[in-house]
Amino acid sequence: MWTWKALKQREDGLLRPSAFRRGVVSSRASSLQLSNAKEFISLHRGAINSLEIDSTEGEGRYLLSAASDGTVAVFDTHRPTSSSTSSCASIAQHHPLFHLPRAHKFAISRALWYPVDTGLFITASFDHYVKLWDTNSTQVVLDYKLPAKVYGIAMSSIATSHSLIATATADVQVRLCDLASGAFAHTLSGHRDGVMSLEWSSSTEFVLITGGCDGAIRFWDIRRPGTFLLLDQSLSQLGTRPPLLPTPTPSNNESTSLPASSKSSSSTPILPAQKRRSHKKIQLKPPTQSSHPGMASSQNRATAHYGAVNGLRATADGFYLLSSGSDSRLRLWDIESGRNTLVNYEAMSIQTSKPIQLAVTPDSSLVFVPCLASLKAYDLWSGTTINTYRGHYESVNCCFFNAQYQELYTGSNDRQILVWSPSIPAATQIVYLYILGIP
Amino acid sequence: MAESSQSKSGGKKRPRSESEGDPDADADAASLQSIQLENDLNFTDTAIALQMMKAQFPKLDKVVVRPFILRSQLYSSVKDRTQVDRDLESLKKEAVVRVFKLNTGKDDHAIMFMDDYLAQMENAVKRYDAKDKQLSDVFDWFKQYVIKSKTDVSISHPELCSLLSNGGDVTEKHVTLLINAGLLTCQLIDQNLYWFVIPNIGSILKGLSQGRKELLSLINRTKYKEMVLANLEKKRLRLSPLDIRFHIRDLIGSGLLKTVQSPIGLLIRLSRD
Repeated sequence: MWTWKALKQREDGLLRPSAFRRGVVSSRASSLQLSNAKEFISLHRGAINSLEIDSTEGEGRYLLSAASDGTVAVFDTHRPTSSSTSSCASIAQHHPLFHLPRAHKFAISRALWYPVDTGLFITASFDHYVKLWDTNSTQVVLDYKLPAKVYGIAMSSIATSHSLIATATADVQVRLCDLASGAFAHTLSGHRDGVMSLEWSSSTEFVLITGGCDGAIRFWDIRRPGTFLLLDQSLSQLGTRPPLLPTPTPSNNESTSLPASSKSSSSTPILPAQKRRSHKKIQLKPPTQSSHPGMASSQNRATAHYGAVNGLRATADGFYLLSSGSDSRLRLWDIESGRNTLVNYEAMSIQTSKPIQLAVTPDSSLVFVPCLASLKAYDLWSGTTINTYRGHYESVNCCFFNAQYQELYTGSNDRQILVWSPSIPAATQIVYLYILGIP
Repeated sequence: MAESSQSKSGGKKRPRSESEGDPDADADAASLQSIQLENDLNFTDTAIALQMMKAQFPKLDKVVVRPFILRSQLYSSVKDRTQVDRDLESLKKEAVVRVFKLNTGKDDHAIMFMDDYLAQMENAVKRYDAKDKQLSDVFDWFKQYVIKSKTDVSISHPELCSLLSNGGDVTEKHVTLLINAGLLTCQLIDQNLYWFVIPNIGSILKGLSQGRKELLSLINRTKYKEMVLANLEKKRLRLSPLDIRFHIRDLIGSGLLKTVQSPIGLLIRLSRD
């Protein structure tokens, strides 16, 4: 078996321990099956919209789940509360540590742990409120009222100089709520329809990525007004990045393809026609907003998807971004160059009405996408389907990959939270856990 | 019934026993065998797949349309979808093919070779009798400036005007003429964006969506929701002028049908999810 041979090689020094660990982790992540050792007893009476495990250093232990009946629950993933005894095996059952029955009036779309520790968590709901809760007393500490229903929230886990919650609502503006002061910090406007999904960059604490119902994905630097990058699905790169200096080909970027274009104002993608020959009869509206250097023009209407962008996930290294749209496509973008890498993820059908939660393994090898009633795992770089996980009865809304144990948690409209764990024989399971350093 | 499965190109290909495509299949005029879809389902290269599928495009009696290929058909023929996308992108940039977004269902794209598209455009322009002869210069400007430089599926209004104005003065009437002739369509989402379309293709697109539904219901009615490919090929669709091979490739590529190997041969099964 691979493991025993690899163990011997590790002993002999032919295989480095870190490489061995990586191999073990990736083989576990690609062999997930419905867990027959662990289950969560969910007391939610509505579809589960959000699952999240806290990201405290070294210990991702508590699972926060939020449902569409306005309830929030927290589970301990390490220690079961009881176990059901059946004839052949006993399944460890995890009951919620606490369950808040009336956290919000309407459905909760997202619940997040405070990135630093599990003392606080934040929930956002369709009743226009974002609430900050104290975990130990389960009381609301702060709340923010927004003008429209909130589809998603995000907090940067690497932020040291700010503690802002970015909120995505059905309103066209993205609002940043400040935890320290309890007020709104500023708003980012540029989207032309509601914003459905958002994500902070995993490499910089000041960059926010938002995906809107108009199909556009925008990158914002919160220190400056305006978007500095818009992802366009027609700009693509075939594996390698395009050269820095623009090549004089006619089929290049939209701004450089005009043959007799004036040499000035190359920063705005759309050239006003007044600068051209004087006998033009076309009257175009001049751009009303002057653009700052380095910022994308407000007239830029590039779309990343043909429908709404309902899921965003950046890879852990911060180089690539995955976006899923209601046109049932998943796209991989190179963040540095802002181009579509054209990786084609085989046929999937993504539900169109709700934001979904994607999951990526930390070594960026697999991406988990909820597709209607099943969950599909794709290889990130080639787009082939590795596995399809069928277990839910209705459409899956959210999934979360627990990197420590290589377990996957999924929540769906059928009110269940299912656990998918690596399926390996028990003898090697003990060896693996020992190697990974889990007591 | 059986002649619908005949290859339409002049050259006939020698029959292959394996299902993997042979990239060097030369037009062998000696063997006049009908090609079974089972042997023809996989290709190794995007360009080869495009050529073969263009050759197998069905002959339509009512409407004259140059051959086009759907993107989902390419996905079903070539194994690696990412490679298909990348090859298609480079073919697009070299202006060998042109890609159009269709309005039948989500994310449908049609691929047409550039010379076929130009011929189709000529036919459409000839058939469309422009009232004002001065305005009909716009078709030449369109062909010369817009098609050559813009390889995307859509174009914005300001850019269209600035590209067309390389030929001469452009007014709104010119753009209206282009839309009436069937070369451009307004997008519903955004008033300022136009889609490039293949002219005179409306009836075929209707046949496409109806044919898909008919084929899916055909398989749905069987007891186990599956059918042997050889039997399925012999059937004829009532509602679609396109032949059944076209639809089978398209549905396999979009994931609604899947192929299963069995001792009898290849089975087509409805994919459940």
